[in-house]
Amino acid sequence: MKSRTILFVALFSIVAGGCGGGGTTNIDIRNDDGKAVMALDYRDFDQAASEMVQSMISSGALKKQGGGRYVVATGRIVNDTMQRIDTDQLMAKIEEELMNSGQVVMTSAVGSGTDALVHETRELRDSEEFDQNTIAKRGTLIAPELSISGKIFQRNLRYDKNKQQVEYYFQLKLSDATSGLRYWQKESLIGKRGSNSSVAW
Amino acid sequence: MRILTVLCVLLMVLSVGCGSPSKDARVNARRGVGSDSLANNVITRPIRDAFEGLIGAGIVIDDAVVNRNNSSNFLQVFVSGHNKSSKTKRFRYRVEWLDADGMVIETKASVWQRMSAMGKSPFQIKCVAPRAEAVNFRMDTRKWE
Repeated sequence: MKSRTILFVALFSIVAGGCGGGGTTNIDIRNDDGKAVMALDYRDFDQAASEMVQSMISSGALKKQGGGRYVVATGRIVNDTMQRIDTDQLMAKIEEELMNSGQVVMTSAVGSGTDALVHETRELRDSEEFDQNTIAKRGTLIAPELSISGKIFQRNLRYDKNKQQVEYYFQLKLSDATSGLRYWQKESLIGKRGSNSSVAW
Repeated sequence: MRILTVLCVLLMVLSVGCGSPSKDARVNARRGVGSDSLANNVITRPIRDAFEGLIGAGIVIDDAVVNRNNSSNFLQVFVSGHNKSSKTKRFRYRVEWLDADGMVIETKASVWQRMSAMGKSPFQIKCVAPRAEAVNFRMDTRKWE
C-alpha cells in the first residue's frame, strides 16, 4: 500500500512538473513590453523597416515623373551577421509597404523575390497538354526599372569587463536598373549593450 | 509652512533661470561645458534635480505641424517639444495615420519608435505617412523600457 502511494506521488510529481514550466504566453506584438534581447528580434526588424519605408517615400525617389508606378525588383540582401536571418523578414515588410503606398509595383520575374512558376509556365509552350492561348507569349514580362539591394551586418565590441556591445547595421539602396544611378540609400543602426553571457547569435 | 512656501518659490525661480549659459538660444552649453551661474551651480543643481523629481518633470509637446511632403506629396507631421527635466528622457512613440473617415490606416510603418531628448533641450519628431489616403494622424508615447 505504501509503495503504491509513493509510486502515485512520484508519478503525479512528474506529470505536474511537465505541465508547469512558467506557462507560455502570447506576445502582444502591438504593444510589447518585453525586455530587449541581444540578438535581433521582430521589434528591431519592424523599426528598421519603418524607418526605411518612411525615408524612401519622403525622398521622392519613388514618385514617377508623368505618373504611374515604378516596377521594382528586390536584389540581393546580404546577411553578414552571426545570426541565421532570413532577409525576407526585413524585405517582406518593406515590399508590402511600398506596394501599399501605390507608388511601386514589385516584380516576381527577376531578383530575390522571383516566383519560379512565372518561368516554369513559359516552359510549357511546346506542351500539347496545355491550351497555348493560355500560356504567356514571348516578350510579355516587364523588366524592373528600379532595384533594391542591401546588407545587414553586425559588429561585436567589448564594452567593459562584464558587458558587450553589439551593433547591427541595416543598409539599403535603391538604384535605377537602366542607368545604374543610385537614387536613395539609408543606413539604420540598432545598438545593444548587455551582459557578456548573453549570446548575440 | 511659510519657510516651505519661500523654499518652493525660490526653487521655482532657480529652475526658471537654469538655462544654458550661452547668449544665443540656438547654442546650448551643457553642464560641465558651460560656466556655472548663480542659478546653476554645484549647490543649486542637486536641489533643482530633487525638485524636478518631485514635480515629475518630463517632456512637453509644443506643436504639431502637418503638411504635404514636397517630394512625394504624402502627409508628413513634425512634432516639436522640449524636455523640461535636466535628465535625458528616453521614450517611444507611435504615429497612426487616419483616413478621411477618421479610421486608422493599418500599416507596418506604425510601430513603436525610439526617441531620446537630452535634458532641458528641444526635440523634433518627423513622420511621413506611407499612404496617400492619410489626412490626419494621432501619436502616442510610452516609456522606453
